[in-house]
Amino acid sequence: MIEVQHLTKRFVGRTAVDDVSFEVGKGEVVGFLGPNGAGKSTTMRMLTGYLPATMGTARVAGHDVFSDSIRARREIGYMPESVPLYDEMRVVEYLNFRAALKGLRGRAVKENVGRVMDLTGLKDVQRKIVASLSKGYRQRLGLADALVHRPRLLILDEPTNGLDPNQIRQVRSLIAQLSTEHTILISTHILTEVEMVCRRVIIIHRGKIRADDTPENLARSSRSAGMLTVEMKASAEEGSEALQGLAGIRRATAVPSAANGGWQQFEVKLDTGADPREEIAELTRGRGWPLRELRANQATLEDVFVEITQRD
Amino acid sequence: MRTFFILLTKELRSFFLSPVAWVVLAMFMAICGLSFSWSINILREKPQDQSIVQWTFVPVWFWLYYPFLFPLITMRLFAEEQKLGTLESLLTAPVRTWQVMLAKYFSAVIFYVVLWLPVLAYFGILTWILRGKVEIPQGALMGSYLILFITGLFHLALGSLASALTKNQIIAAILGFAFILLHFLIGVFVMQQAQDHQEFRPIMDYVAIKGHIESFASGLLDTRPMVYYTSGTLFILMLTHQVLEYRRWKS
Repeated sequence: MIEVQHLTKRFVGRTAVDDVSFEVGKGEVVGFLGPNGAGKSTTMRMLTGYLPATMGTARVAGHDVFSDSIRARREIGYMPESVPLYDEMRVVEYLNFRAALKGLRGRAVKENVGRVMDLTGLKDVQRKIVASLSKGYRQRLGLADALVHRPRLLILDEPTNGLDPNQIRQVRSLIAQLSTEHTILISTHILTEVEMVCRRVIIIHRGKIRADDTPENLARSSRSAGMLTVEMKASAEEGSEALQGLAGIRRATAVPSAANGGWQQFEVKLDTGADPREEIAELTRGRGWPLRELRANQATLEDVFVEITQRD
Repeated sequence: MRTFFILLTKELRSFFLSPVAWVVLAMFMAICGLSFSWSINILREKPQDQSIVQWTFVPVWFWLYYPFLFPLITMRLFAEEQKLGTLESLLTAPVRTWQVMLAKYFSAVIFYVVLWLPVLAYFGILTWILRGKVEIPQGALMGSYLILFITGLFHLALGSLASALTKNQIIAAILGFAFILLHFLIGVFVMQQAQDHQEFRPIMDYVAIKGHIESFASGLLDTRPMVYYTSGTLFILMLTHQVLEYRRWKS
C-alpha cells in the first residue's frame, strides 16, 4: 500500500527526513514512532502529497504521491496533528463539504456522512457549530473527515493528542475497529497505544529509521530484556560470586542500597535464551540464603524507544 | 470544474457568515447612498459639467474609501487558512492549489460585485420616481461599472497576493493596502509627469488608474486599460499561486 524509497526532505539548515525507505502492506497497522522533531509529521505530509520531497520516491496504492498526487490523495484519509477544521460550519455541513471535495456525489455523500457520524459518535452533535465542539469531538470529526470517502489508507498524525484517558480509550477502540478495513499508519507518543493497536512499529529518530519490527520483537531486542532481579539475604560479594557461577548467567551485580535487615538486591544479566530461575532457587536453599524476590524483567516498547532515541 | 464550484460555494458561505463582510456591505451601502443623494442635491442646484453617474461613482471622497475596500475583502482569504492550518487539510484532499486559489479569488470577486449592485438599484428607483423626466446616461453607467469591475479584479488579485504572503490577517490587510496605494501613486506620478513630458503620455494611458476611472465614468471606453488590468490580474494570480506553493513547500 505504501512504498517509500530513499525519501529525503531538507529544509534550510536542517534535514528533517534523511534517506528513509520502508514499505507498508495492505491491511497492516503500523505505528510510526519518534520523539518530537524526529521527522514523523514531515514524512506523513510527504506521503499525503502536501510537501514535496527533496529526493526519493513515495507511492500510495501504486500512485506516485508527487507526480500522480490527485489519484494518490483519493486513496488516503489523512488526519493532521492539529486537526484543522472550519469553525464557522456545522458538523454535518463540514462533513458534506469534505465528502463532496473528495469526489463523492449525491446519495453517496449522505450515506457516507451518516456512516462516519455513526462510527465516530457524532450523530448527537451533527447540528452543532464546529467552534463549540470539545477537543474530543473535534478529534472525532477529524477522524470522520479522514474516513468519509472510504480511503484504503489512513494516515493519522497523533490522533489522541490532548485527549483525556476516556477519550483516548474511545479513539483507540475506534482505530482497532478500523484496522479490519483499512491500512493504517499512525503516529503517536503513547506507546501503550501502539502496543495495543499496531502489529508493526517503525521508530524514526533524527530523520532516519532506527527500528522496524513487531512490538514483541523490539521488546525482545531491548537491553533490559534477558534480565532477572533477585533479592536475598546474602552479602553483595558472596551473592554476586555465587550467582555468576551458575550456568546461563553472564553477569550478576549487587544493587547498592541502604542497609535493610541484610536483604540485598542483585541484577542478573542472562545469556540469550537462558532461564536459570530454578537453579537460583536451588542455590539460595543450599546456601541457606532466604529468598524474597526472583523476577524476570519484561522489556517494554517504552524501554526500546528510550534506548533508541537516547543512544546518540 | 466541479471541485472549483464546491470550493466556491464554501467560500461564499464563509464570506456571508463573516461579520466583517456585513460591516463592509453596510458601510459601503451607506457611502454609496450618501454619494447618490449628494449628487442629486448638487445637480438640483445648478447645471454641472459632470453627469449624475460621475458624481455618484467618483465623488470627491472616492479615493478615501475605495483603496480600503479590497484589503477588507481579501485579508482573510489565505492568511486565515494558513493560520488555522486548514490549508493543509484542503490541499491533502484531491484538490489542486489553483482550484483553491481561484475559488477564493472568485468568491471575493462575487462579493465585490454584490457590493456595487445596490447602486444600480438607486438609479432604477430614481428613473421610476422621475418617470423619464431625467435621462440617466447609459454609456457612462456601463462605463463606470465596467471600469470598477476591471480595476476591482486587479485590486482583488493584489489583495489575494498579500493574503497569501502572511498568516496574519492584519498584516495581509496592510500589505494589500500598500500594494494598491503604490499602484495608485505610480499612476498619479505618471499623470503629473505626462503634463510636462509628452513621452509619459503612452505610459499614462496604461497605468493611471485615476484617469481610467474618470474617463470610463464619463462614458469614454478605452481598450488599453482593459488589457492592462486583465493581464495584470492574470500575472498577479499566477504569482499568488507560486507564493502558495512556495509557502506549502517550506512549511
